[in-house]
Amino acid sequence: MSTDSGVKERIERLIVDSAMFIDRDELDAWMDCFEQDARYIVMPRENRNLRLPVGIIHCENKARIEDRILCLRHANKYNPHFDRHIVSLPRVLSMEDGIASVETNFMIVQTNKTGESRLFCVGVYEDKIRVGKEKEAAKFVERIAVLDTFSVPTMLATPV
Amino acid sequence: MNSGKSGAGVDWERNDYSRLPFGLYHDPGIYRTEQEKIFRGPVWSVLGLEAEIPEPGDYRVTHIGDVPVVFNRDPGGGINAFVNRCAHRGAEIVREPYGNVQDFTCIYHAWCYTHRGDLVGVPFVKGVQGKGGMPADFDMGSHGLRKLRIATFNGLIFGTFSADTEPIEQYLGSMLVENVGEILGRPIRLLGYQRQRIYANWKMYMENVRDAYHASLLHEFNRTFGLSRLTQTSGGHMDERHRHAMLFQYKGSDGDTEAKKAYKDDRVQRSEYMTLNDSSLVQAVKENKSGVSTRIISIFPNGVVHQIANCLGMRRVRTRGPAELEIEFVLFGYADDDEAMTAHRVNQANMVGPAGLISMEDGEALELVQRATAPNPDGSAIIEMGGTGALMNLDTRVNEMPVRGFWSYYSELMGIEPAGAIR
Repeated sequence: MSTDSGVKERIERLIVDSAMFIDRDELDAWMDCFEQDARYIVMPRENRNLRLPVGIIHCENKARIEDRILCLRHANKYNPHFDRHIVSLPRVLSMEDGIASVETNFMIVQTNKTGESRLFCVGVYEDKIRVGKEKEAAKFVERIAVLDTFSVPTMLATPV
Repeated sequence: MNSGKSGAGVDWERNDYSRLPFGLYHDPGIYRTEQEKIFRGPVWSVLGLEAEIPEPGDYRVTHIGDVPVVFNRDPGGGINAFVNRCAHRGAEIVREPYGNVQDFTCIYHAWCYTHRGDLVGVPFVKGVQGKGGMPADFDMGSHGLRKLRIATFNGLIFGTFSADTEPIEQYLGSMLVENVGEILGRPIRLLGYQRQRIYANWKMYMENVRDAYHASLLHEFNRTFGLSRLTQTSGGHMDERHRHAMLFQYKGSDGDTEAKKAYKDDRVQRSEYMTLNDSSLVQAVKENKSGVSTRIISIFPNGVVHQIANCLGMRRVRTRGPAELEIEFVLFGYADDDEAMTAHRVNQANMVGPAGLISMEDGEALELVQRATAPNPDGSAIIEMGGTGALMNLDTRVNEMPVRGFWSYYSELMGIEPAGAIR
């Protein structure tokens, strides 16, 4: 579908920035990409196909996203690593009442602290994005990261 | 304590499994023997839940050890399981992980089997135009798939390769019959799957789910929100043969102040306790008689049934060689849950699985043991929390008894018990 270039640019910026914030471990900035009542779900492809509701991570609103990150910072222990998100160009499916439905492929490569990299996962972001007015930043109303790699290697601690 | 030297080549050091030779995790010969004597031995392996195959024709693929097994519901409603390997040339027959079929047909030469695993179709068995075909004495009736014996208990499906495995309720013992029976005592509704692949030996995970001691030390979330603390009314109990175990606790049976002091005195707590925006994640709606808030019930050799607050699940563990395992978490609620209760269980599923707030660390901990012991498997682990010698049930989680229990039954089946072994 045709989308005006300013809208497309704001969508692309949100997709790229949100990925880069995770890779740079700037998780406060990553959380700011979500609206207050935004959902964030990491969904195994098999549950999606079977229409089962359980995710790997399932946050129904931003308060719960914040709880996830708080636990990550203060309670959880995980494999020390760096993430690299490689994202495709977003594909805008529709635009309704200022909210764009967008699909973007992603791939995450994890690198450990001694410099060995492995493909961690691939999948598709199914996003609902409030595009906002010209000077405003676009924000996620909903982000569902559908994991093709749903047999998760080792563990999944940092957001996808 | 006897020296437990004569363990068919395994140097146990002691007869009570309080020393564990690291070589048992890594020896490829041990792994091959396990497949035969444990997984194809006189045990009931967890296959799945009846709720996974509700309709006639439904099937799902799982594994016993590293052998792919298909369990299914036949058109008459009966439950069956067979090894996913064509009797003809050994090809994998079922290629989709789940589905609903009229029959099972191998794509290679189109040999066709029923849900029970009986061979009912061999294309051109009599040849074409009088030429070729199978010899006249070829008997389809004796070339079915390798079938497993099946037992079910409250909707949980078990399979065994052995003709000698005892009846299922006797195998489980009274503690599991009571507790698994209660958790699966009502019709359930599947909520989803989570899978985790850990690059470590499978037995480390079966120890982990019997290790009452680590739960609040490794999993800081447990300690912080009082889901599991060593200061609570809790314990690690076993069946009479000590092969299965149940770790349990009662949330709210200790005070935050008392708990904080205990962990601070033992220099575990690193920082102040945090609080959540939304504490419903850690709240339990009471739904069992005793008010027990967590039960991790391990079923020898490959299964777990858990209740963590209102997060209910079954786990099946697949071996993938000596250095890799896969855990499949199958989460469920009850068929009569209302929308709010289902949402609560979906929210609490955040606690388990590969990204589980109280389980993700297990993946890392097991790989740490794998990495540090595989290159040089000399030496042994220490398993003494809760005491050495005879195995017994303790009402504390400062306790590794059920881990020794696992090894005692494992060694009996493997034929590697130390001299004068305790059981």
